[in-house]
Amino acid sequence: MSQDILQLQNVESAYGPIKAIRGVSLKVRQGEIATVLGSNGAGKTTILKTISGIIDPRKGSIAFKGRDITAKDPAFIVQQGLSHVPEGREVFPLLSVHDNLLMGAYTRQDRDGVARDMETVYGYFPILRERTGQHAGLLSGGQQQMLAISRALMAAPALILLDEPSLGLSPKLTKEIFEIVVRINRERGTTILLVEQNANMALNAADYGYVLENGRIVLEDPCDRLREKEDIKEFYLGMKDDGVRGERRWKKKKTWR
Amino acid sequence: MTSSSPSFTAAPAARLRPSPGLWDTSSIQPRRGIAMPGETVPAIFWNAVRARGDQVWLRQKELGIWRSWSWRQTGEAVEEIAAGLLALGLAPGECVSILSNTVVEWVLADLAVLSCGAVCNGIYPTDAPVQVHYLCEDSRTRVLFVEDDEQLDKALEVRERLPQLERIVVFDMEGLRDFRDPGVMSLDQLRVLGREHMAAQPGAVQARAAQCRPQDVAILIYTSGTTGKPKGAMHSHGALVYVVHGYNTFIAQDERDERMCFLPLCHVAERTGGEYFALYSGSVLNFVENPETVPENVREIAPTVLNAVPRVWEKFYSGIMISLKEAGAVQQAAYAWSIGVGEQIAQRVLAGQPVGAALKLKFRLARALALDNVRKAIGIHRARFVVTGAAPISPDLVRWYLALGIPMLEVWGMTETCGAATGMPAGRIRPGSIGTASAYNEVRIDSATGEILVRGPNVFMGYLNLPEKTAETIDTDGWLHTGDVGSVDDEGFFRITDRMKDIIITAGGKNVTPSELENELKFSPYITDAVVIGDARPYLTVIIMVDQENVEKYAQDNDVPFSSYESLTRAAEVQALIQGEIDRVNARFARVEQIKRFFLLETQLSAEDEELTPTMKLKRKLVQAKYAQRIDAMYRV
Repeated sequence: MSQDILQLQNVESAYGPIKAIRGVSLKVRQGEIATVLGSNGAGKTTILKTISGIIDPRKGSIAFKGRDITAKDPAFIVQQGLSHVPEGREVFPLLSVHDNLLMGAYTRQDRDGVARDMETVYGYFPILRERTGQHAGLLSGGQQQMLAISRALMAAPALILLDEPSLGLSPKLTKEIFEIVVRINRERGTTILLVEQNANMALNAADYGYVLENGRIVLEDPCDRLREKEDIKEFYLGMKDDGVRGERRWKKKKTWR
Repeated sequence: MTSSSPSFTAAPAARLRPSPGLWDTSSIQPRRGIAMPGETVPAIFWNAVRARGDQVWLRQKELGIWRSWSWRQTGEAVEEIAAGLLALGLAPGECVSILSNTVVEWVLADLAVLSCGAVCNGIYPTDAPVQVHYLCEDSRTRVLFVEDDEQLDKALEVRERLPQLERIVVFDMEGLRDFRDPGVMSLDQLRVLGREHMAAQPGAVQARAAQCRPQDVAILIYTSGTTGKPKGAMHSHGALVYVVHGYNTFIAQDERDERMCFLPLCHVAERTGGEYFALYSGSVLNFVENPETVPENVREIAPTVLNAVPRVWEKFYSGIMISLKEAGAVQQAAYAWSIGVGEQIAQRVLAGQPVGAALKLKFRLARALALDNVRKAIGIHRARFVVTGAAPISPDLVRWYLALGIPMLEVWGMTETCGAATGMPAGRIRPGSIGTASAYNEVRIDSATGEILVRGPNVFMGYLNLPEKTAETIDTDGWLHTGDVGSVDDEGFFRITDRMKDIIITAGGKNVTPSELENELKFSPYITDAVVIGDARPYLTVIIMVDQENVEKYAQDNDVPFSSYESLTRAAEVQALIQGEIDRVNARFARVEQIKRFFLLETQLSAEDEELTPTMKLKRKLVQAKYAQRIDAMYRV
């Protein structure tokens, strides 16, 4: 069994009086793709923000590569090798693609390494090389997502937090991006913690999955086993029997078994 | 909208004052007279409609607004539904079933069926299609009312195998706009049919209702059937009327009372203690939005009388305990002092001693300081008294409610006694006892077996289609053999030892009553239910279902990592927590009666699961069979 690169223990985070995550414990093993599934407002993004230090948790602890990073400065956390690809991409619109990528490498001193990684990401996403001098704000949504992922890679991270890469993208683009994500994981050995609403994509790409509901983990299992669970099929994959009438509107009760 | 659609009204003002404290039970006076004449349920209902007219009877929250049904509106709706049923050819004595949660339409349909002289049977909304099939087949149901599309699907799934089922009527047609089926109609369509029938034959419903006799079967209540198939207990109109008359002699209520209707109406407790007793006494029935909103709805309704099962009382209590732990030191101290004053008063009242003026003054302070807030947090601040029944309750829990200044009256009864057969007199509360025999039936202990026997007009007519089972249950002298073993003291207070078949005889020959241990365990906020094992075994063990919310909170507060329910129950700290609770209970019992081992159920159970009864109790036999391996493991060392 490979070791845990990231470990969350009973993490609680809140926005003012509203508790967004109410005690989450999870582990990400070195070299795997882990995913957190959940509906709107389940607390997925909050988990990632708490890990990367954007939000300080009320309770609990976060360990990365065996070191405590709870409530540490985000810049410090990036330097430890943990990059966050935020939801909605958040590229710098008025910087060129090239400069956006350099921003990702801001914390690094090894110029050769940076140049090498620049080549690698252009290899993953050739379109970015074509647009290298353009303002990032002029890229399409899919290209911006590619740029955001590439920017994260430029920090040469051991772990990438990937927040809803499929947001607003066509099914075809989503598929392409997921293929690259899996490639990055396989080729570079980068561990990935993926948060997704597109459960089907995420379950196919990831090795291990957690299901988050109302700020709590209700289910965890390897993804191939998660895919077979009744509740996952009905509530996350949209597969349900139509019942006797040929159409069913009411929802079964979730049991999470 | 038809003329009998409900109107919108604001929440009612408090009308009956609760007593200042436990020492004053003047607000719980027995009522001897007849509150509403009538010898059958429909006769009482139609008399009440005439007498109470525009007074409010039913209230239900729809889309966030409370809607009221006056007696007149209820009567109009019931008459239309009944006329619709007549138009469908429903004959006296035929059976109609209702498959729905507790909603206003349940009551409307029930009263319409009874007004037709037909038999009404309730089916738990949590039942699976196979159970729906069994109950409809056994009761020979001709018309089935279903709540919504979800319940309809169950009925449609088994309809082919129910040749006698002619019509399904749906209360709520949401999502069924495009659904067409000759065997299915909406409640509104049935009412249209009824209005046409009424135009053609005015007075048909009243004439049919008048034919109804007290000795006719009115309702069927299927017993939960922890062993074997459920059995349909038949109750006559006479018995139902007799029981509601009797209720007014010890848990009296009237038109000023606000009640909450939320337990399943297929269960005898809510059917007689809720619906029919309110029908008779005129108390307002407030329906909860759905089973999950009960805690919010209690606070909103603030009932003046509240009947509930121990599980609900335990939940309220543990909710308060949890928020207390989060409170500051000052608040905790205020609560501790206040509940202490309440306990002193409860102690004196229970011992029959007078409560001095100084103590009364202290209690007023205690209420202002903490107890009133606790009562408000639960929603029982207006309660004149509360009633618990349908399952054993921990005496400590009863004492806690008494310390809040709220008389908690335990009643005991069963499906076969048509509701309560014993009840706690308000002036002489004895926690741990089930009270004295109700004035309307005889209760005695079988000297040979210790079994509690009940005789009276409230005892059921027999099980449908099961004459031998009926003969086993009611002996030739008319005594109902309840299956509960108990004792009675000099003053006539009964105590339940346990269910006869549940009593454990350990390998060492020691008789143990599991419910005693189980009730003590359930008093813990971390334990929802427990099943003690040990029959023919060397020592006692227990299967425990933890209270998810409270145990999660404990884990959270103590940095116990967990993800799912399963990992929560497996956490060493949680195991230790439960061990601690067991140790606490063990300390109160003799060595041979102590629990040596336990395990926690690792799946989170809901009412749909076979392990639980619809009232959320663990089914002892089923759990023992299903977890036989894990039980055996507790005896292998």
